[in-house]
Amino acid sequence: MRLVIDPTRCHGHGTCAQLLDEYIRLDKWHYPIVGKQKVSAGHADLLMRASQLCPELAISIVDD
Amino acid sequence: MIESVSASIMAPTGPRRLSLGWESAHRPSPSGRVVFVSDLSPRPRLVMPLAEHVAGYGRLPSGLTMRMALDTLRASNLTGRGGAGFPFWKKLQAVATAESRKSPVVIANGSESEPLSKKDTLLLKNNPHLVLDGISMIAGLLGAKSAYLYVKDREAHTAVNAAMRERRERGISELRVTVVEAPAGYVSGQETAVVRRIAKGPALPQFSLDRISTSGVRGAPTLLSNVETFAQVAIVLRFGADWYRQGGQGSDRGTRLLTLVGAVGRPGVYELLPGATLAELLREADAGDPRAVLVGGYFGRWVDLGTPNSTNFPMDDQTLAERKLSFGAGILGVVGHDTCPVVEAAAITEYLAGQSAGQCGPCMHGLPEISTAMARIALSSDVERGMHDLRAVIPLVEHRGGCQHPDGVIQLVRSTVGAFAEEVKLHRSGRCTARGSHTSVLLPPGATVAAGAVVR
Ligand code: SF4
Ligand code: SF4
Repeated sequence: MRLVIDPTRCHGHGTCAQLLDEYIRLDKWHYPIVGKQKVSAGHADLLMRASQLCPELAISIVDD
Repeated sequence: MIESVSASIMAPTGPRRLSLGWESAHRPSPSGRVVFVSDLSPRPRLVMPLAEHVAGYGRLPSGLTMRMALDTLRASNLTGRGGAGFPFWKKLQAVATAESRKSPVVIANGSESEPLSKKDTLLLKNNPHLVLDGISMIAGLLGAKSAYLYVKDREAHTAVNAAMRERRERGISELRVTVVEAPAGYVSGQETAVVRRIAKGPALPQFSLDRISTSGVRGAPTLLSNVETFAQVAIVLRFGADWYRQGGQGSDRGTRLLTLVGAVGRPGVYELLPGATLAELLREADAGDPRAVLVGGYFGRWVDLGTPNSTNFPMDDQTLAERKLSFGAGILGVVGHDTCPVVEAAAITEYLAGQSAGQCGPCMHGLPEISTAMARIALSSDVERGMHDLRAVIPLVEHRGGCQHPDGVIQLVRSTVGAFAEEVKLHRSGRCTARGSHTSVLLPPGATVAAGAVVR
């Protein structure tokens, strides 16, 4: 599993980085930088929550 | 397979051109390989009438199958003329084989959002039939139910409408092309912005996990290409790949329309025939003794003409690639010794930063910082800090936009500090090689960059 953020929607609230701090860090403007590593199965619920909680609905989950 | 297209048609001899019939007022260069087509403010001309068009290029081939077209286009190596230079046959194949219940959509992009470019508008104004031929053939092959022409220029719009009326009156049965007006703005010509606009949305780039070839306009498989590409398609599918590839060298050997601007005596639109060198083109354009050329437009790369033999190479895609250059949007910007290429690049960077659609954080915040850093370097105000900031900010912006805009700017900036490392060094000591006023010759007419900050 991977997460993909639509940069045209994301407003940099950072909710996602709080939930997924292993995978996402924020840049100096508070926009998320997504790491390259895949999201482990154990974090699937967390990922789902992050995508639901993103106020801009900018997070997609890609299965590969 | 390939022969079946060319064999069914008597391949004409002589140079193959997009500018057939409209370059007549001007003689080609002594080598015959550079054709001056028009200056930058072309007077209204007569659109080439359909009868003349057919006399010049011949009728459309009949009985063309998708298989034949793909083979021919593949053998021709025709690549897109809008910037990315992607092989056209691959695009066509992707749309033709896309699994979708919706019928494909064809879009010809003539919006020419690079403000210095004039070649697409000129093509549409003078030879709309060739573009319409290409759209008609591709739409027919794909079984498309809708085809669009995306245009900004009003006169081009009028010319296209007149040409379509003429085709209907002559009884040509083909899919009707809908002309959609492109709004102003640099990013309105970005692929996904065009797709959104065609679907009646705003002309802003959109992020998607799918390619438009599988899911474009309202989810339909979409083939989008530049208008010059469609004109070339109309030529290749008429006369075959062998004919298209005769003469010249490189991978895609077709002719190319280029807009040449900047410090030259004869700016304008040129058609390059196979084998033409940069030196020939600059001579034709009366460039004198130029300092540098920006190849490919604002997202392009520089050639420093201060190095020996820097213009003695043929302008074909492979030779350009070997020199880490590309035709890009088909624009060449020439800088003389009056201005400094680093200052030019800083002015362009500032202009482009202002053209961000403001949708993505890294583009919205990062480009102004890159622009400020470039201004520091260009104006010798604090070169050290400028270079330091570029190194820090570029990684935060690159590949993080929703479209190619920020990456294009970064390419220009990298090329500038790379090609003119000596000039940058000079700026560190507060000097600059420019002999003149620092007035930019490559900014679009009427563009304003922070008053006095970059361009004095
Ligand atoms: S929660 Fe959504 S809007 Fe906020 S930073 Fe993450 S992706 Fe962007
Ligand atoms: S990268 Fe810049 S220009 Fe492209 S969509 Fe995002 S904000 Fe707009």
